Amino acid sequence: MMENLVWGYIYPNEAEIQWSILIVLYPYITGLVAGAFIASSLYHVFGNKDIKPVARFALLTAFAFLCVAMLPLLAHLGNPQRALSIMFTPHLSSAMSGFGYIFSFYFIVVVLEIWLAFRVDIVNAALNSRGWKELLYSALALFSYDISEKALEADEKLGRKLAIIGIPSAAFLHGYVGFIFGGIKANPWWSSSLMPIIFLMSAIVSGIALLILLYLVVMRIKKHPINHKTLYSLAHYLWVFLIVAVVLEMLEIISIKYEALEEIEIIEHLLAEKIAFTFYGIQLTMGALIPFILLLLVGVIKNRDKLKVAMVAISSMFILIGVFAMRWNVVIGGQEISKSLAGTMTYVPVFFHHEGVLPAIIILIIPFIILRVVTYILPPWKDMMEENEEVAVSSE
Amino acid sequence: MQPHLKRAFTLLAIIIIAFIFVRSLAVPGSFGEYGWYRGDSVNELRSQDIEYAGSRTCGDVGCHNTLYSIWNQSRHKTVNCETCHGPSEKHASNIRIMPEPADDSRDFCGLCHYNRVARPDGFPQVDPETHGQNLRCAYCHNPHKPWFV
Amino acid sequence: MNLSRRDFTKIGSKIVIGAASGPVIIDALVKKARALEISPLRDYDWNEHFWGYVVDTTKCIGCGRCANACKLENEVPFDEPVYRTWVERYRVLKEGEAVIDSPNGSIDGFTDDIPEDEINKAFYVPKICNHCENPPCVQVCPVGATYTTNDGVVLVDYEYCIGCRYCIQACPYGARYYNNEKGTADKCTWCYHRITRGLLPACVKACPVGARKFGDLKDTESEVNKILDRERINVHKPELGTKPKVYYIGLDRVVR
Repeated sequence: MMENLVWGYIYPNEAEIQWSILIVLYPYITGLVAGAFIASSLYHVFGNKDIKPVARFALLTAFAFLCVAMLPLLAHLGNPQRALSIMFTPHLSSAMSGFGYIFSFYFIVVVLEIWLAFRVDIVNAALNSRGWKELLYSALALFSYDISEKALEADEKLGRKLAIIGIPSAAFLHGYVGFIFGGIKANPWWSSSLMPIIFLMSAIVSGIALLILLYLVVMRIKKHPINHKTLYSLAHYLWVFLIVAVVLEMLEIISIKYEALEEIEIIEHLLAEKIAFTFYGIQLTMGALIPFILLLLVGVIKNRDKLKVAMVAISSMFILIGVFAMRWNVVIGGQEISKSLAGTMTYVPVFFHHEGVLPAIIILIIPFIILRVVTYILPPWKDMMEENEEVAVSSE
Repeated sequence: MQPHLKRAFTLLAIIIIAFIFVRSLAVPGSFGEYGWYRGDSVNELRSQDIEYAGSRTCGDVGCHNTLYSIWNQSRHKTVNCETCHGPSEKHASNIRIMPEPADDSRDFCGLCHYNRVARPDGFPQVDPETHGQNLRCAYCHNPHKPWFV
Repeated sequence: MNLSRRDFTKIGSKIVIGAASGPVIIDALVKKARALEISPLRDYDWNEHFWGYVVDTTKCIGCGRCANACKLENEVPFDEPVYRTWVERYRVLKEGEAVIDSPNGSIDGFTDDIPEDEINKAFYVPKICNHCENPPCVQVCPVGATYTTNDGVVLVDYEYCIGCRYCIQACPYGARYYNNEKGTADKCTWCYHRITRGLLPACVKACPVGARKFGDLKDTESEVNKILDRERINVHKPELGTKPKVYYIGLDRVVR
């Protein structure tokens, strides 16, 4: 059976694919984090009022996914008990060594920003509840209940600063994930200085798409009308970033094909035989072309909100799948070509294995549970609904 | 600075200091001694057990010296004892531990001597189909002193 | 009251930070002093040696005894498809295509499965970790679990490796593998336990035709140095800038 999975000549040590579906998940999840955070920054930093209803929700979404971002890595390590070495003795010439510190720094920024954004709610909840709830919210408030105007002003100032720091660190968090692959000269499918920016752009795209879907789902659960201004504004950003992401991805492929270096034959084999469906079919057609057209139509068509909402929803869903396919094509595709450049392997995902599909599914479900818990403690619904009415009134 | 922010940053500072403290305990003592790695690991890797004793061990200690001197002048002198007889350091340090008997099958000799296109010209090779009537090679050839010189 | 409390926290935090960072700094200074002293190995000075390896592809007969000996010497999982060294066979067909293979890393030898009259030329190429001077595997290790020794050998610290396998991805030569038993990366050590005790690597010892040579590049009289001075040599994938220290005689352009 082994033999059928191998084409041409691979080095004897390459029989096993080293980075499994979990490593596909890792850049996917950090991408969602970076994207959701940048979406919230559209309001917090750039002051786009349309985004305000989902700005705090976006922060919580980023937090929920950030909490599980290191899980796929941990599950993948051969010696997970030594994982902290990456923070104790980070080998700075390694792109991967930054993970611990960049992740922690970003985590602190996100937590602080959430804390500042929700502090009024936390303090009010602490003052107006009894029992364990009082204790929880008081602890979250750090037993300091000052919500005077002066205090809130200081909060806002710091919050803005944090959001400004947050953007480059979100970009860094994900850009460096791209560099983990882009810096590997041994692998022609990875080695590219475009990789970090491609990863970053598709991260923003996936984060906004996730936010749109979550927003629609929440509004449906809460049986509340959708704020179309917010939705279309998000869809607009989604469209813009999608174009940038796809242009960069195409640029990468075109320059590989045009320069036609030593590796061209094996890469053409990879694209034609190994990842043709996930690359041309899912990543480009389903994940880019169709959403591009649908979102374009959303921008062009007037009225007919029901149709447009459906188109935005479908685009977001397709983009989420397409970005996952893009991660797959990079991580798995890159490993399916032998470094001898003379053959290919095939990755066969297993289901019940510590690096299999089952843990991947579990890891993908956890952030939604975390999000549910966090939104229970710190409900962001108020601004999602109130703003809605305000906007609705003002637009009438 | 507002007191609640002060508390938040104090909390952060405590976490960072705790991390520095834990780090100083967790990093192995020899880390960074010679470079960005655990210095002790060099010695650990060096203390790995040796399996292949070397042909001279077989002859010099006066155990297999007759065979050794025959082999040492034969055309097979480039083939070390353990290439056929297997790793024997354990046997050399304790003669009660016997190494696996040498593989005397035709296919084992054939690893070197069956006709293969990729072998360098002039290397002694035979066609296993026609040569030696399927007898064990050692029936005619003494592996310690093959007769073609 | 307020002022004194602030002073108190200031002094307090200074003490705590000092207490935490002090030992770290002192430790670093002590280590530096020790590093200058000498080698970690008592009866062997790693600053006196710099190892190199020569492969003469024109001599290799493809018997695979090197790959076999390596697995036995180094407890490489015998029945798994992982190898610290292996032999590749290249057969350039008359129609121009190059057929490459290395069944079981050459341990069971090779059989002729292409008729001789279809083959233009054929030869074997032994492969091994190149112990690059500029090793990409060491560069990418996030924790410092793989490193180059002063005598030029790239090693893996099995007690420190976290098993992320980034180094396996970074090696352009496929020389590294994942050791399932240890949960770490693994690779050829040039038999560091042997060469530091004056012995040759197991693969060099096992080669019946002298296709593999090992020696000290700092010793001008060593066999490897003489070969490097005399022969026309090449290394694998020189364009990647890894500066391999395994030098090849008779390396054909089809070799990957």
